[in-house]
Amino acid sequence: MNGRAKLFWRLLVRPLGREPVRMGLTVLAVALGVAVVLAIDLAGTAATGSFRSSLETLTGNYNLEITATGGVPEEIVGRIATLPINLDLSPRMEDFAVVASTKQSVVLLGLDLIGESNILASKNADALPQPAAANDGMPQHFSSDDSLWAGSSLGWEKGQRISLIIGDREHTFTVRGIYNDQNQPAIVMDIAAAQRAVGRTTRVDRILLNLPERENIEARIKQISALVPPGIEIRAAGTSTEENRKMLNAFRWNLKLLSYIALIVGAFLIYNTISVSVVRRRAEIGIARALGASRTDVLLAFTGEAAVIGVVGAAIGIPLGRIMASGAVRLMGATVDALYVSSRPGPIELGAASSFTALAVGVSVAVVAAYAPAREAAQITPIEAMARGRREFLARVHSSRDLIVAIVLAAAAWAAAQVPAVGGKPLFGYFAALFAVSAGTLAIPAAISAVMKISATTLKRTGVAALLASRSLLGSLRRTSVLVGALATAIAMMTAVGIMVGSFRTTVIQWMEGEVPADFYLRPAGSPSVDRHPTISVELAEKLSMLPGVDAVDRLRAYQVSYDGVPTTVAAADLRESRRRGHSDFFSGRPSEEVLKELRTGDAVVVSEPFTYKHNLKQNDSITLRLGTSLATFRIADVYYDYGSERGFILMDRTAMKKYLPDDAPSNLAVYVKDGADRAEVRREIEQAATDYRVLIFSSADLRRQAIIIFDKTFAITYALEAVAVLVAVMGVAGALLALVIDRKRELGLLRFLGASAAQIRRMILAEAALLGLLANAAGLILGFALSLILVFVINKQSFGWTIRFHWPVAILAGAISLIFAATVLAGFYPARIAVQLNPIEVVHEE
Amino acid sequence: MVTFRNVIKDYSADGQTVRALNGVSLDVAPGEFVAFVGRSGCGKSTLLNLAGAMDFPTSGEVLLDGISTNSHDDGSLTKLRREKVGFVFQSFQLINTLSVVENVELPLLLAGNPDARRLAFDRLSSVELAGLEHRMPHQLSGGQMQRVAIARALVNHPKILLADEPTGNLDTTTGAVILGLLKRLASERKVATLMATHSMEAAAIADVVVELRDGSVAGIKRK
Repeated sequence: MNGRAKLFWRLLVRPLGREPVRMGLTVLAVALGVAVVLAIDLAGTAATGSFRSSLETLTGNYNLEITATGGVPEEIVGRIATLPINLDLSPRMEDFAVVASTKQSVVLLGLDLIGESNILASKNADALPQPAAANDGMPQHFSSDDSLWAGSSLGWEKGQRISLIIGDREHTFTVRGIYNDQNQPAIVMDIAAAQRAVGRTTRVDRILLNLPERENIEARIKQISALVPPGIEIRAAGTSTEENRKMLNAFRWNLKLLSYIALIVGAFLIYNTISVSVVRRRAEIGIARALGASRTDVLLAFTGEAAVIGVVGAAIGIPLGRIMASGAVRLMGATVDALYVSSRPGPIELGAASSFTALAVGVSVAVVAAYAPAREAAQITPIEAMARGRREFLARVHSSRDLIVAIVLAAAAWAAAQVPAVGGKPLFGYFAALFAVSAGTLAIPAAISAVMKISATTLKRTGVAALLASRSLLGSLRRTSVLVGALATAIAMMTAVGIMVGSFRTTVIQWMEGEVPADFYLRPAGSPSVDRHPTISVELAEKLSMLPGVDAVDRLRAYQVSYDGVPTTVAAADLRESRRRGHSDFFSGRPSEEVLKELRTGDAVVVSEPFTYKHNLKQNDSITLRLGTSLATFRIADVYYDYGSERGFILMDRTAMKKYLPDDAPSNLAVYVKDGADRAEVRREIEQAATDYRVLIFSSADLRRQAIIIFDKTFAITYALEAVAVLVAVMGVAGALLALVIDRKRELGLLRFLGASAAQIRRMILAEAALLGLLANAAGLILGFALSLILVFVINKQSFGWTIRFHWPVAILAGAISLIFAATVLAGFYPARIAVQLNPIEVVHEE
Repeated sequence: MVTFRNVIKDYSADGQTVRALNGVSLDVAPGEFVAFVGRSGCGKSTLLNLAGAMDFPTSGEVLLDGISTNSHDDGSLTKLRREKVGFVFQSFQLINTLSVVENVELPLLLAGNPDARRLAFDRLSSVELAGLEHRMPHQLSGGQMQRVAIARALVNHPKILLADEPTGNLDTTTGAVILGLLKRLASERKVATLMATHSMEAAAIADVVVELRDGSVAGIKRK
């Protein structure tokens, strides 16, 4: 080890071991920050990277796909097959089935098992049942309606009888074989059997094409397009996967940024730790400088100390992050499923790149946070550092200058909040948030000074412990400001997100009051997902409308489409009359009946707010949709608020839809009970009528309740991230209070000489913790309010397109703030114990 | 006022026992000014700590105003200290974040005295620091800081004043002034004063000079 390194080790690194608790807390704070960032990154990739899963792993390589809303007519398959082109062609059915016994949703694939067997055998030898399966003495099972082949991860056995719910019907199948599904479970049937099972006998869901590499793809697309009706779309295979991934970008991006909060709070703590190191080791710095160490050596020594903390923290954080990713992927997967698209999370892969990135992030944040105090240490002159009688190197706090900078940053935040989205991302919204947080933290020293001075008399009346506590905090203003800044940042994020979620929740609840006017709703059994639209049998709808207590049954049929590269839902409903009561739901403010009347003309639609935001559309603009085999153009009659999903929703009259998609089967039913009828009795009648169908019945209250449950689940991951940030901050408070106690040993010992009891010393430390908590809570609430405005009106709006009405979740915020305050005071107990155990004789006379 | 009865004090250091006091016996009357002299490590500060109920003798007895410190718990000793003892230190030991008057009133606040501010002001006048009440310690000279420390030590009307090298950080002239102040105040208020010093010149103002050598009383000179 060279001389400088030895000096560094002996003077600066080795002493770190003398304070294992404090250093441990700082390292743990970094570890948690790194872990959270890594967990969200890994979980995001896993939760959103699984679209290319069951549907594609069984396909082999195809480079084109042909789709149509409502399915591609079968005759198209024949037309394409007759083309004089060398191509592989694979029609398929793609749907979902629900295992009756376990309620598990499984992908259901219908393939032309006979036509594709050679192709599939050449591509994926162990993927599917071979023609040999047909030679197992049971060729007749290949296309029989009760035959299926199951993926190995389902855990079924050949010959087993399985009941599946498809749509609203339960069917029993025999497992004819098992194939290696590489942990992407699916059920495979012959395409004809699948068509019959899902009730789409004249259509296929997708046609996959494989053109040889040497072919001119664009030319072939043109050639094929000439053969098919305009409503049928030909595009590169895997486009829907990419569209889904793009759709999730905003969600992933926002979560990623939220995950960085814990790391930012950790950065505050690193700053504090290094500042304390600088103060404590001023004599060692002076000695080192007197012995020939340069300013750069000192700077590198302290940034090196921070780097050591960063490396150790990251080394703990990486495996911790991998563990946390398992929980995070579950939470994120639930959100993706509920709001975006059905998916099965892929495996969590912690590779070298992710690990290295996490390490780099941990070390970078630590080094950047340590730079300012390290630079200050480098400026210390040897004489100044070694002067006897100087009890503390007074780090100057430029609170007035910082306050001015804070005001400028606050103005910059306001300006940035006015800038629209860039490429669909609220980039300037993020800047606004960053400026706001910076402004808040820079204003803290001035705020603390002012508050302490104003409250001096009150504090003194509270008792000597509070007086001494406030003076102690004021006397180390920089350290206090950093601590308060760290905790306030965590509280601010918690407050902002709490207000945003609370506002969102209240907005959704109020919205739902008007959106579920029917008495009962029915949908097919199985896991709901925003992109899946299984249907109910037409006969059931007709049966229900004949029930004596039923006034009307409205049907809604939904399809997933792609509009301008973004997955969207287009739906048609019975709009015979407006059953809405109360206020208008439309942006224009017009009465519902007036708007619905326009829809009944057949050439108009209403669209959801997120849809207009994503595509920059407004009332009276035109949109062209692929419906069935047609391209249909509609005028946007109006825009309505919709919080059901971020995907975008287009609604038209059912009669208009049937011109293009005549399938009468509804996706769900809304049942209106006659005035004066007994609702409980009518429900029993509905249940009785639906005995042979696998449907779920909800009252409007049930639906609202379920919607809120889904809503709360989607934000579970957000709450988890905030909790980690607050935990990191509270740990920082504990560590910093411990440092304060150690640095004030002399003063604490002196107080004992002056007659302070152990209880008074303990109360003083706890009072400091309480004051820190109060200051941080106040600063965090104010900053959090400002951030919530940015979140609600800028980031959320630009990310997702929703209008959220501002509400204060007073009870929740009060509870959370109280909890944090209590945790902060609790964090003071260990430092208080240390303070009480100090030997006054040793600490006062050691000088 | 302060009685040491065959006091022995041992300390453990790295597994070895060090005898700091070896059977010291002494009586200090109210108002008496006693100086303990001797080289570094002779036990002067140890005697002061025992007299201030900050520590216990290993054997023997220490009585403050007739109360033995041996059989008391921390709470009782704290109360005893608060009511009867004042400390003055070599390095003043003021709290930098408190003003002059706040430093002086601190013992009264700790004792819950509601009249702390007025009494502190009075005490500062008695040490000739009226007008400087709201200054901060770093704005004072060494002599002024020691006056503040003396005012703080006497603000609760102690029966015993313990001064550990009170002039150690002061120049000769200022030190003499401080010693004169200590002597005057101790005499006026009948406070038994025990001062540790290595300076024979400082010890000269005392009524009794006790020479300590290796933890034992080597000699006592009375004026």
